Amino acid sequence: MKTITRDLYLSAAKLHSSKVRVVLFALTLALFAIAAGAPEAGPGFIR
Amino acid sequence: MVLAAAVVIGLAAGLTRAWIHKRPYQTPSLRSPWLVFFAFIPQLAAFYLPRLGIRVPDQWVPFILVGSQIVLLYFIWINRKVAGFWLLGAGLALNFLVIVLNGGMMPISPETVRAVYPDVPETLWQVGERLGNGKDIVLPESETRLPFLSDRFLLPEWLSDRLNFTVAFSLGDVLIALGVIWLLWQLGGLEVRSTAHLK
Repeated sequence: MKTITRDLYLSAAKLHSSKVRVVLFALTLALFAIAAGAPEAGPGFIR
Repeated sequence: MVLAAAVVIGLAAGLTRAWIHKRPYQTPSLRSPWLVFFAFIPQLAAFYLPRLGIRVPDQWVPFILVGSQIVLLYFIWINRKVAGFWLLGAGLALNFLVIVLNGGMMPISPETVRAVYPDVPETLWQVGERLGNGKDIVLPESETRLPFLSDRFLLPEWLSDRLNFTVAFSLGDVLIALGVIWLLWQLGGLEVRSTAHLK
């Protein structure tokens, strides 16, 4: 996992694409927010 | 969804700000971003993939949730110098505290459950049990430790009607959402300079 994400970030740097870095940063933040937060939303109740 | 929306709002605001001021949108360099993916994957399986989530015993949920949040707390700590991360960390810490004190899941009151799921028969959820496939446990406020930190806030009725759903969220969720929006917005206002100070 560490190798995969490191390679992903290195590839983004090699591409010299700031857009890719922005997307990866935003994705990291989004996953952090979803994992750190705990909002309960409906619809979505499954049992 | 609500917190993901905060990312969209913050990113749009920050990019717009950068465009207006004719500055590049500079993202900071994060230490060990893979920790976030590592922390998210167990939650993805347990809470967001119904076919997998049904197979996850309720007894495992506290360990998955608390364990992944410990990883996120460490991620925040090693990146504490990044502007705005303190707000994310504060929100995470509040959620972590109330979750740990209430058996490893986010408490939600029966009244709030009825407000979020008005059409779900009450036979499908029970006080003292996990709510559906999510991170919540249904607990009366009288039995909740630090109830003011639990999933107790609801969207305004006019917004719920417009979105056709409602959501219960905690004070920690509010801080996380504000932190995300502020962090992404302020990146659009950074002067063009060396990125060495961001490491």
